[in-house]
Amino acid sequence: MTGNLPFLAVGIIFFMGMYAILFERNLIKIAIGITLLEASANLFLIVLGYRTGGSIPVFTLAGEVRSMVLPTPQALTLTAIVIGLATSALLLSLIMLLYRHYGTLDVREIRRLRG
Amino acid sequence: MSSKPYIFRIASLILCVSLGLMLFRGIAALPVTEKVTGPASHYLARTAGETGARNVVGAILFDYRAFDTLGESTVIFTAVCGIAMLFSRRKFHRSSRGLSFIAKRGIGIMVPFLLMYASVIILFGHLSPGGGFQGGTIFATVTVLLCVVFGSSFESQYFPPRTKDILESGGALLFSGIGLIGLAAGTGFLSNIAAGFPAGTFGSFLSAGSVPILNVAVGMKVGAGLSTIFYSMIKMLDAGHDHREGGGIE
Repeated sequence: MTGNLPFLAVGIIFFMGMYAILFERNLIKIAIGITLLEASANLFLIVLGYRTGGSIPVFTLAGEVRSMVLPTPQALTLTAIVIGLATSALLLSLIMLLYRHYGTLDVREIRRLRG
Repeated sequence: MSSKPYIFRIASLILCVSLGLMLFRGIAALPVTEKVTGPASHYLARTAGETGARNVVGAILFDYRAFDTLGESTVIFTAVCGIAMLFSRRKFHRSSRGLSFIAKRGIGIMVPFLLMYASVIILFGHLSPGGGFQGGTIFATVTVLLCVVFGSSFESQYFPPRTKDILESGGALLFSGIGLIGLAAGTGFLSNIAAGFPAGTFGSFLSAGSVPILNVAVGMKVGAGLSTIFYSMIKMLDAGHDHREGGGIE
C-alpha cells in the first residue's frame, strides 16, 4: 500500500521543473527543468498503472503470481524515456551553439544582443 | 528594478499551487483497486498464447503496438539527424589524449563485459525485463566510455561514424522489412504470429516470432543513434577547446 505518496513525488518534481522553466535565466537550468517535467510525466504514468500487490508484467520462472501491474504504461514510458534522452540531447546541442554564438547562457542577454 | 517581476512571481506561484491542489484532489478521488481493466487485462491474459513472449511489456512494444514503436524510433532518428546536421560543419577536430593509464586499462577490462551485458539484454528481451531500447543505450554507453577515456579520435577509429550510420539505417530497414513480411502474408503491417513467424515453445530462447528480431533492430537503431549524438557533441567540445587554446573567439 503506497497511498498517494508517489503522486506527491510527481507533484513536487513537476513543481521543481516548472519553477526552473519559469524563473531561471540560465539556459542549462531551463533544460534541466524540462527534463524534470519529463521525469514527472513518466513517473505519473508508471504510478497510474500500479495495482496494489501487483508484480512486474513478466512471466518469470518464479511461478504463478496473483496479479500484475498494467503493462501498457510501462511500454509507453520506456519509449518516452529514450525519446526524452534524444530530445534533451538536441536541446543541449542548440544551447551549445547559442553559447558559442553569444558567449552567454543568460536568456535576457541573448534577447538583448539579438534585438 | 520595478515591482513587475515580483508580481509575476507571486501570480505564477498562486497558479502553480492552485493547479497542484486541483490535481491532488482529482488523484485523491481515484479508487485504489487491484482490478486490471481495459486492454491491459487482455494483454495480461493472452500475451503468452498470442505472441509466445514472456515479457508482456516487450510483447506490447514489438507486437501489439509495433507500429507505434516504429514511429518512436523514427523520432530518435530525426533527433540524431538534427544533431549531426547542427555539428556537421566542424572540420577542425583534434581529440583529447584521454585519461590516465589506469583508467584506460580498467576500461579495457570492462568493455567486453559491458558488451556482453548489452547483448544479453537485447537478445533476451522477450523473456526477461529488457529489450532493444535498454540494451541499445548500454551499447551507446560503451562508446561514450571509449570517447571519454581514450579520446574521441580513438573511438571514431574503432567505431567509425560511417559504421554507425549503416547500423542505424540497417536497424530501420530491418524493422520495416519485418513489417512488410506481415503485409506480404496478408495479415497486416508488423503482424507477428499471424504472419507465419514461428511461435516456438513458450519461454525458450527461440520463441515469440518476430519479437527478438525487432528487439535487435531497435537495439541497433538506438545504440548507433545515441552514440552518434554523443560523438557529434564531443567533437564540437574538442573543437572549442582548440579555439580557446589559440586565443581566438568565434
